Amino acid sequence: MGLRRIKSLLILMVALIAGGAVCFLPGATGWMSRWADPHTLTFTGGALCLLGAISGLLTVTVVRRNNRQLLDRLRQIALDGRFKYLEAGDGEFVPLAAAMNDLIDFAEKTVSDAAMKTKELEIQLKVATAERQHAEAIIYSISDAVLVTDPFDDLVLANESAARTFEFDLQRAGRLPIAQVLKDEKMIGLIREMRQSKSTNGRRIVEHQVKAGNGAAKTFKITLSCVSNQTDEPAGVVAVLHDMTKEKEVAEMKNDFVSNVSHELRTPLASIKAYVEMLIDGEAEDEQTKREFYEVIQNEANRLSRLIDNILNISRIESGLVKVNKGPQSLMVILKEALDVIAPQARQKQIELNEKLTPVFYQTLADKDMLYQAVLNLLSNAVKYTPEAGTITVETLVDEAKKKVITRISDTGVGIPPKDLPFVFDKFYRAEANNRMAKGTGLGLSLVKHIVETVHHGRIFVESHVGKGSTFGFELDLCE
Amino acid sequence: METKTILVADDESHILNVVSLKLRNAGFRVVTARDGQEAFEMALAEKPDLLITDYHMPQLSGIELCQKLKQDPATSAIPAIMLTARGYQLEPSDTEQSGILRMLSKPFSPRQLLTTVNEVLELPQAA
Repeated sequence: MGLRRIKSLLILMVALIAGGAVCFLPGATGWMSRWADPHTLTFTGGALCLLGAISGLLTVTVVRRNNRQLLDRLRQIALDGRFKYLEAGDGEFVPLAAAMNDLIDFAEKTVSDAAMKTKELEIQLKVATAERQHAEAIIYSISDAVLVTDPFDDLVLANESAARTFEFDLQRAGRLPIAQVLKDEKMIGLIREMRQSKSTNGRRIVEHQVKAGNGAAKTFKITLSCVSNQTDEPAGVVAVLHDMTKEKEVAEMKNDFVSNVSHELRTPLASIKAYVEMLIDGEAEDEQTKREFYEVIQNEANRLSRLIDNILNISRIESGLVKVNKGPQSLMVILKEALDVIAPQARQKQIELNEKLTPVFYQTLADKDMLYQAVLNLLSNAVKYTPEAGTITVETLVDEAKKKVITRISDTGVGIPPKDLPFVFDKFYRAEANNRMAKGTGLGLSLVKHIVETVHHGRIFVESHVGKGSTFGFELDLCE
Repeated sequence: METKTILVADDESHILNVVSLKLRNAGFRVVTARDGQEAFEMALAEKPDLLITDYHMPQLSGIELCQKLKQDPATSAIPAIMLTARGYQLEPSDTEQSGILRMLSKPFSPRQLLTTVNEVLELPQAA
């Protein structure tokens, strides 16, 4: 029922009650008695009042029913949590429903705007989180140590490498002052100085040694830079520490290598030059002496050539540039050739060379020149480290079942201390104790290992007893 | 004129032989040693007029040998010439503490070595 009808009902009710009341007014019977007797008037008045009361009751009922419906719908909206337009079917509530619906529209728009804004913020947060995680992932993945501090010198970000270098707990270090996290005064000072300098585009590169708890020192190249915020004010410091320990070691090794190589080259060259000059000056009087001089020159030239071969081959094998020319070869033939070459050096030191070789028909798939080089290096070492009048034994053992051939070169030399044994095949490594016994580049055995293991897929081994001697050997596959 | 004795120490036998021959041909008496320790003992026994030593030797290096000889009153006056294959430069402290007066770099010329030997032997302190 619409509002207009309620209004009509109310007017009707007022009119009826008023009409009824008029019938009861004193004196009314006087001027009305022309149309009705007093009983009829009383009855009519009563009836009108009754009708008025009924219409009043009807109005109240309608209003209450509409109210209830409206409330029910609003409750339903609240319950559903969804906006539903109020039905304007009952005419008298159309404006109310329309007003309510406008309100609902407004509320709905406000809520949807808020939801949109929330979504937008959520997306922005996700992007920011992803960007931060990305930046963190980059920082965590780099091997250099990274420290990021804020304007108050608190640690904002650090990676595993930094935690390892400065020995702190990465999980607990966040937002702590660097003075509490780092024990390294110099590093703390560097970060502070950089922050105080407030140079937003400047960088500073410093070399600094960081000492670990166990006393080991590492050299770092530290790049410090100030980071600025959107308003171009310094927001903190980023320190990237690059470990240069290995690079320094390599540089030292290279330096030692150049020094060793030049020494090794000079030694045979010194003999060649001196003997040639002696021959020119006629210092060798008899034919026998002259022949000895020629032999020395030849042997030293060979030594020089072997040394150069070693240096070149090792760098070629290591760089992967070497051309391997494999074919079935008799290991025993190669051993014989190497023994012939080394014999003059052994004779000079009165070293006895023993051969215990298996027949020549056993063959192995090998690069002849390389294998010859490896054998010659092992024999040359044996001669170098065996005192005068010692013995060198070269033997081969064939394992028919396993299709393997083992070569052993044993000497009665100075031997290698156990602490040095695991490193003898490392490039540039020289056992300190034997350094005085003979000169060397620390390249020979490294080359042998490369030739046996990298080129021929064999196995190299060493056994040694200080003062008794060493046995170097290698195992190769036999071919059909 | 009295024949001067020269002690030559080198672990490279070729060098030892060629230096010995050059000096013998020049009229010197030559004694040889194959390492630092042997050279020290030889110096004590022979009291040579000059020492020619390699830098890098087993047992005792050339520098250690010269320092040891300098410390012993019996051998402290022996002048020394050092042969080295390392680009080692002679420092004033080496001369003071070791008696090394000249340094020759390997490869060297035996002719030049002989000239140096004569020079050193003619120096007032070697007389």
